[in-house]
Amino acid sequence: MFDYSTLIQAVVGGNHIRSVELASEALKDGVSPQDIVGSGLQAGMRIVGDKFSAGDFFVPEMLLASRAVTRAMEVLQPHICAADMPTLGRVVIGTVFGDIHDIGKNLLAMFLRGAGFEVFDLGINITTDSFVGAVKEYAPAILGMSALITTTMPTMGDVIKALEVAELRSRVKIIVGGAPVTQHFTEYIGADGYGADGGSAIKLCRNLVGK
Amino acid sequence: MAMTEKQRILAAARKQPVDKLPVGARIDVWYNYHSGHDTLPEKYKGWGIPDILCDQGAGIQLRHGAIWRTEYRDTEVVVHEDPPYTTTEYKTPKGTVSKKTMFTPQEGPWMPYELELPFKSVDDYPVIEHLLENTVLIPYLDDYLKKVEMVGENGVVVAPDSYSPMQEIMRTIMGYERFFFELHDYPSRVEHLYELMKEVVWQKLKILAESPVETPEVCGNWSDDIHTPVFRKYFTPWFQEVGEFLHLKGKLTQAHIDGEMRRLIPMFLETGIDVAEAWSPAPMTSVTTAELREAWGDKVTIWGGVPAILFEPQYSDEEFDEYVKHLLKEIAPGYNFILGMGDNLAFDGKIERVGRMAELVDKYGRLPI
Repeated sequence: MFDYSTLIQAVVGGNHIRSVELASEALKDGVSPQDIVGSGLQAGMRIVGDKFSAGDFFVPEMLLASRAVTRAMEVLQPHICAADMPTLGRVVIGTVFGDIHDIGKNLLAMFLRGAGFEVFDLGINITTDSFVGAVKEYAPAILGMSALITTTMPTMGDVIKALEVAELRSRVKIIVGGAPVTQHFTEYIGADGYGADGGSAIKLCRNLVGK
Repeated sequence: MAMTEKQRILAAARKQPVDKLPVGARIDVWYNYHSGHDTLPEKYKGWGIPDILCDQGAGIQLRHGAIWRTEYRDTEVVVHEDPPYTTTEYKTPKGTVSKKTMFTPQEGPWMPYELELPFKSVDDYPVIEHLLENTVLIPYLDDYLKKVEMVGENGVVVAPDSYSPMQEIMRTIMGYERFFFELHDYPSRVEHLYELMKEVVWQKLKILAESPVETPEVCGNWSDDIHTPVFRKYFTPWFQEVGEFLHLKGKLTQAHIDGEMRRLIPMFLETGIDVAEAWSPAPMTSVTTAELREAWGDKVTIWGGVPAILFEPQYSDEEFDEYVKHLLKEIAPGYNFILGMGDNLAFDGKIERVGRMAELVDKYGRLPI
């Protein structure tokens, strides 16, 4: 029987070579890709998220763990079809216009995928129109916006207003994050939630989709 | 005779007595945006930053980038301009790398942002090594001195925009994500780049040592969730060595601490850096000014303290005043502190609050508080 703890350890330890070896081994042992993802990779990322929230892990450990998951997923992807992998919901994320910082957003994307969300990452410097267009195109459950500097934060409010004008606001939950973003600001612009870090953002997203 | 604002800022940096809390305000983002959109307040149309800040009654912090020009031996540098993007190719005998930057001053930024960095794969190590081995920095102070003259006794010009060697690699060569993957996968190659980058940064320090810059900025833009794991190994010893060198030349050292500092607070003290500028307290980060003062005592001069978001319309004038008054009490008796925003006035920030900050200091900021 496949020992998931070894795969969890590889993820938590950021060992992408070992995570690929173990994912391949598990497939050969007849373990379903869904179980490898759920009981191995996602379980590992939950531990990583908890350790980050507790201050035991930093961004480097998260990056390495996320890489271990991503590389293992590359092995599993050919064995998974869309119908077999239920998702917690669809999330569109991006860094707002005028802001090119993306490390937090990238980490959140990795975490969300690891947690079972389907993520569309629009990238950086995303205009209001592009955010609105993405909500129309992807019909996500959640729209996430990131800003690292106070000078670009106000555009988050512009996006929310634009979604209201386009009559899309009620169809999507909006979360915001980034170093200067606060709960006060979140309420001021009418967003639905604020994630202070990756771990809390995952919990927030789960709550918003009711899972 | 009353001290000038410049005298106050430099005295506070040097932990010397001052008569009143110095104010060094920074508004280049707000100014660039409104100049670019022709939306400066009617009164300020055609004015420069120093005059606007003087009119508001605040001391001036003006920024300046490099006081050197950079050349590369045995390298062809090809620049492609496609505004607002600039792509620079570095063609060396070891191969070619390129970087892409975006500069949109009319939206606020005072410097280009890196969109694409030169290091993209393990194949690029020899090219980057060649560039670092062949970098020559030539002093160039003309633009810096013009700004110093413009600011006069009303404030200081903060320079340069420079980083410690490992931070240079993280920010300008690889980017943080790639850096941590490379450090994990090829540590000896990254460490070799670090040794080469040290030589480049030493050229900057030697130019600074002979320049009129009183408190050179030696690094910044840290965030404790990114930098903590590498700080003690690659940052602390470097700053200790640099501090010793610059102190012997009569300079102080300064760092731009605009990110989350909580887990870096004790480490910062170990560096011996004299001034912590761009201090951005809660709610923008998790640390209050009181916590920082308690941790650092009078060993570090702090510059900043009023979070940038306090200048925005989501906060009322009353909330702004209460924050500043509370801050003044937090830092009492007020020595070794330079008041400013953490760390810039955003495009929708209220310029009048800069004047409000200065008025509150006039009223409540005589030292000792």
